[in-house]
Amino acid sequence: MSALPRPSTIFLAAITTLVAVLLYSPLFVPIVSSFFTVSHGNVDWSSPTLSTYVALAENHDILVALRTTLVVGVCTVILSVVSGTLLALYYHGRRSGRSILQFIIFLPFLMPPIISGLALLIFFREIGLERSLLTVVIGHTVFVLAIVYRTVLMRLQSMSRTLVEASYDLGATGWQTFWRIILPNLSSAMVGGAILAFALSFDETMITILVTGTQSTLPVRLWAMMRLGFSPDINALVALILMFTVLLCVLAARFLIPRQMATERS
Amino acid sequence: MNQNTDLLTLRSVSKSYGTVPVLHDIDLSIKDGEFLTVLGPSGSGKTTVLRLIGGLEPLTSGEIRLDGQDISRMPINKRPFNTVFQDYALFPHMTVSGNVGYGLSVRHIKRKEIARRVAEALELVQLGRFADRFPAQLSGGQRQRVALARALICQPRLILLDEPLAALDLELRRQMQEFLKSIQREIKTTFLFVTHDQEEAIGMADRICVMQAGHIRQLGTPHDLYYKPNCEFVARFFGENNLVAGKLGPVQGEQRPIETALGRLVCSISGQPHLKAAPDGARAFAAFRPEALRLADATDDGNRLYGTIADLAFAGSSTVATIMTGADNAAQRLRLRMPSRIDGSALKSGETVSLCFAPHEGHLVLA
Ligand SMILES: Nc1ncnc2c1ncn2[C@@H]1O[C@H](COP(=O)(O)OP(=O)(O)OP(=O)(O)O)[C@@H](O)[C@H]1O
Ligand SMILES: [Mg+2]
Repeated sequence: MSALPRPSTIFLAAITTLVAVLLYSPLFVPIVSSFFTVSHGNVDWSSPTLSTYVALAENHDILVALRTTLVVGVCTVILSVVSGTLLALYYHGRRSGRSILQFIIFLPFLMPPIISGLALLIFFREIGLERSLLTVVIGHTVFVLAIVYRTVLMRLQSMSRTLVEASYDLGATGWQTFWRIILPNLSSAMVGGAILAFALSFDETMITILVTGTQSTLPVRLWAMMRLGFSPDINALVALILMFTVLLCVLAARFLIPRQMATERS
Repeated sequence: MNQNTDLLTLRSVSKSYGTVPVLHDIDLSIKDGEFLTVLGPSGSGKTTVLRLIGGLEPLTSGEIRLDGQDISRMPINKRPFNTVFQDYALFPHMTVSGNVGYGLSVRHIKRKEIARRVAEALELVQLGRFADRFPAQLSGGQRQRVALARALICQPRLILLDEPLAALDLELRRQMQEFLKSIQREIKTTFLFVTHDQEEAIGMADRICVMQAGHIRQLGTPHDLYYKPNCEFVARFFGENNLVAGKLGPVQGEQRPIETALGRLVCSISGQPHLKAAPDGARAFAAFRPEALRLADATDDGNRLYGTIADLAFAGSSTVATIMTGADNAAQRLRLRMPSRIDGSALKSGETVSLCFAPHEGHLVLA
């Protein structure tokens, strides 16, 4: 980039800043306004307050929804990391039929969520599975599997094949090679994938609405609240979800940057 | 540790990847305790030979015997061989001592014992201070030595090294060559060392196995390969050489003449019965090294050659002259190497010269 003449560098910087502001400033509005009260449709800027957060904390429905979200998230992560890793290992070791497997895994992620959700709904009805948290977890897993799979597979492919050969060469068995060489080298990718999966599950709305029973997750709850009208604690909720998601993404990035680069920088 | 017993024998080993044959009917014996170098141009199948022995690839046909026992189907983790990979293949998530101790810990050896032997191995490769570092924190030469220590620690019968020095720069490479050689003398383990660098091969090997296009062309000491190449490929590949094509004349004791476009050249055939047995008139080459060729004076009665100096190249301790000989329709380039002199060469470009080499410094190669 340094090869560019100075005026064009400044121009590029200006454009980048503008785009960033346009894209991301709406995100900050609810965060900022969550610290102020609204009366008669006007924001009272004079006195910052945490009252919206207090109201949120006292909202029993929200707390229940939060717990549901966490339970669903954790189950989804466990299921998707285990199956995503197994699929990646299987794919990596295979020679034929690879593109079909890849396609099937990515399909639910690429399809519009409403289509995935409807397909799942029809499927659950056909096999007679009651809508419940279980169906939500299954729905989320199908949706996020591609991310975990992709993350783990990329790490697997960047791993030198000779590492595995060296392990065998030094006398290790297949199990020893898996537990002591392959898995440790995948672990940070698995953690990164898990965090991304959790973030996706945390925010997932469309599929959840379609396949959930009586319980609702946080975004679904939020959706329901919005339909009844805008209330100040929605700002607080949006702000919290936003911050939490950002935190997760930062964490995920930490785990997904290759180790070598990380040590070079430190 | 008897240098004369065969440790490992390959018997008519062939290998194909799919339908593409890569090795053709290889026969090779590795002696116990020797430093054997496999030398050949890129794609000649050197790595493949190593991978077959190490068990990383299955044979297509033939067999591999260790102490006379067929081990062709023995799984890789049971073979008493260890490999030093070209990219070192150090485990990035383990420290140096973790890497070196891996071969012992997968065999469930006691921790204390592992620690002792790791310390010993690191001492041997002079990396004692680096035990707790990670591979990413080491230089190329240090990684190389970790890889070596990791292979040595299991006390393998045979150590397989696939161009282990290829990634190092020239200076470090020289050091590592000496280092490897001295370690091999110290632990007296058999080394099978792959390289495409003939200088490296000459400098390190007890014996060299020259490969080309999936065949073993010659197996012998560096001296044998240099002075008694058995085919045109080895004669040309191994060191700089002058080759002049011609037809063999009748045997004269330990010598045999060859009729070439540059005249009759007499070369030694001592110790090479196949040259004695070759029929008169068989196509062959006279081969003589640039350093065997010299300017003739009137009294010389060796093989005479005449030509014009086309080029003089100063190469430090020696100077190489390129000489054009023969008639226009059979022009041939010869090289002559002579010690450099401080007052410049006695030769000038464009000068016509008379050259000679002694019969015992020339040899024959069947075409
Ligand atoms: N896995 C493979 N599948 C198909 N062909 C292969 C495979 N590995 C090697 N080959 C082919 O086998 C031949 C010999 O390869 P090999 O790696 O043994 O050569 P080499 O002598 O080690 O060469 P280099 O000096 O470049 O390392 C080459 O023509 C190569 O293309
Ligand atoms: Mg090779």
